[in-house]
Amino acid sequence: MAIGFEIDPQKCTECERCMAVCSLLKFQKVLIRQASISVERNWPEIPVIRVCRFDDCEGQPCITACPVAAISKQDGIVRINREACIGCGLCVQVCPEQAIWMDGENNAYKCDFCGGDPACVKECVTGALSLKGG
Amino acid sequence: MPGSMYDKILRIDCGRQSAESWDVPEELREYIGGMGYGTKILVDEVSPSIDPLSSDNKFILTVGPLTGTMAPMHPHSCIVTKSPLTGTILNCYSGGFLGAEIKFSGIDGIVLEGRSPDWVIILIEDGKVSFHNAELVRGKGTGETERYMKNLFGGDVRVISIGPAGEKEVAMAGVFSETRTFGRGGAGAVLGSKRVKGIAFRGTRGVETARPEEFQRLVEEDMRHIQSFCAEEYNLVGSFSRVGTGSGMGLINSRGALATRNHKFGSFDGYEKIDGFAYSEKFYTRAISCYGCPVHCGMLHKFRKYDQSDSWLRGPEYETMFSLGSDLLNDDPILLAEAHLLCEEYGMDTLTTGITLAWAFEMAERGILREPGLELKFGNRDSILGLIRQIGEREGIGDLLARGPGVAEQEIDTGGSGSAMQIKNSGFAAWMPRRMKGVALAFATSNRGACHKRAPIGAEIMGQIDMDTIEGKAVLVKEIQDKVNAVFTLITCRFHEFDADPEIYPRYLAAATGQTINLKEFLRLGERIWNLEKLFNLGAGFTRADDRLPGRCYEPIKGESSEGAVMKPEQFETMLDEYYEARGWTKDGVPTPEKLKELGIEGYAGLVRR
Repeated sequence: MAIGFEIDPQKCTECERCMAVCSLLKFQKVLIRQASISVERNWPEIPVIRVCRFDDCEGQPCITACPVAAISKQDGIVRINREACIGCGLCVQVCPEQAIWMDGENNAYKCDFCGGDPACVKECVTGALSLKGG
Repeated sequence: MPGSMYDKILRIDCGRQSAESWDVPEELREYIGGMGYGTKILVDEVSPSIDPLSSDNKFILTVGPLTGTMAPMHPHSCIVTKSPLTGTILNCYSGGFLGAEIKFSGIDGIVLEGRSPDWVIILIEDGKVSFHNAELVRGKGTGETERYMKNLFGGDVRVISIGPAGEKEVAMAGVFSETRTFGRGGAGAVLGSKRVKGIAFRGTRGVETARPEEFQRLVEEDMRHIQSFCAEEYNLVGSFSRVGTGSGMGLINSRGALATRNHKFGSFDGYEKIDGFAYSEKFYTRAISCYGCPVHCGMLHKFRKYDQSDSWLRGPEYETMFSLGSDLLNDDPILLAEAHLLCEEYGMDTLTTGITLAWAFEMAERGILREPGLELKFGNRDSILGLIRQIGEREGIGDLLARGPGVAEQEIDTGGSGSAMQIKNSGFAAWMPRRMKGVALAFATSNRGACHKRAPIGAEIMGQIDMDTIEGKAVLVKEIQDKVNAVFTLITCRFHEFDADPEIYPRYLAAATGQTINLKEFLRLGERIWNLEKLFNLGAGFTRADDRLPGRCYEPIKGESSEGAVMKPEQFETMLDEYYEARGWTKDGVPTPEKLKELGIEGYAGLVRR
């Protein structure tokens, strides 16, 4: 099965539940700014939803950009090994979706697809975010 | 035990431009948060007799235990202050994303005191306060002020601001937050009196809950419930979800309860051109949520103005479709959008502004009011936009109208029969007291003037109860007032409360903060807060004579579907007697010592003026 999201920003109402639940699962608290998905408001136009596109990302340049091989594909999911990350930020620069960020400890972070069952998708009531092929 | 409240409130002294963090004392925690915190702080610290625009007033902005969490339909924040419009205690609310950001910055609220020597913008970052010069945005609209603040501090801050009306202390000036509005009661003028043009918040501390698993189960249960009623064809909130709050205008019109032409008529032929369906059919429409809300009742529309420039707005809400629409005989959706945007830029409540315009147009028709250079005429574009501008600028007749419709009426129509649709100087919300007797009582007895937040609107308009009878309305209104006050400690969206089993609120509270309180005690807290507000208002000089409807409410409604519907003065007085009795108050509307003791607030009896 292909790993990835179907994203329809036309349907997004910008409630940020995807961001809230993402941070809640990672940090046990709602920390919107550290979510691995981002809804950028662009009123009156539709928002930009930034999240790793996995199999839909051509070439997956973050993997090759990482000088210490901290980014790899495991079970089809592109992941960052935080222990190995040296905080150089190259992956952030090359990500075509701008969906990799640096955290307060200068480590890169991105969506890990919740290991295969993304919580953000379940939280999205309008269908702006759904599973690829789902 | 860590919970969803930080137990810290920032006290900001505008005069000294300093701030300190204040630990929430145990006796305040009993008031849960939101409106409970604001009311208790104001009543404890501000004398009821002060001038609301003096440096003695306080501006209290709070959040609650569910703010910022995953609990759906809890995006609001609450302002409590003494109202310059009504002279009563005021609580008002705005949705959007502000509340969550305040919580994320590690505080439960702020208390602004004093008056700044110069105009300032305040930045609050994770509880740290800094003051910034506001000269560059003096006189600017709320939209431009917001953009300025986001340029200055970064696009991710959440802000409140006032427009020129707030700066000029216009009595119906609101506080604006990214198209959401703390509209009622003139909180914008209070912020203006403190010389604060805006406040920006940025928070990186997030929010957690005391019992995360229990909390998450509640969130999931609540989400399922909300999605289920939103999917029902005839559910009111469900229709808001599909076309916004303007979805019900046709129903209200068919019930002869759509206030039209300064409340003379109960139906408006042109409603179909300006209701929620009209906006979504005629204009580009996109649903916009408040933080964490699956209902997404906010509708963003793009439209072209009469000057051919492209524009957009998030709104109008139903209440504005009435106040700047039917009540002004305006069936032009573009003009309505322009008027809405003008109110937003000046920073004024569309309700009291529209009510004031409707009254002024009627006075002009009767030859009592005129303004050189400006025709004052129902349905006329220049009249509507021109008069909004003059109020916002306090120019000409606008200077008088800026003091509120009740004050203006007293000034120039002294022999009048009460055709300004206001109570305690606050303009009516979009409902007709003559038609809806529960609404009549709720408007008259509201502690903040003609207020619809605690009225049995849904039950009366949907026909669940007979809207024309006075039977049972006294107890019903009391119960709703107490219940809504209780849920406003959590700052629950009123639309959540429409369909919720109220047991969920104490359950949410326990899971969020660890505070255990049963539903009865929770509702009793709502009643306690109601009585505290009442004591403050009595202290400010209000009496039974102020809990009254304007004369027009006793005239028959003109119009086909509601011809003859009328409220008789004796009917209203009966309801008021029954209401005071249900409240445990005297015939004069004063809480008895026994009632205060029962509620545990006997220490506040001294607030009442003797």
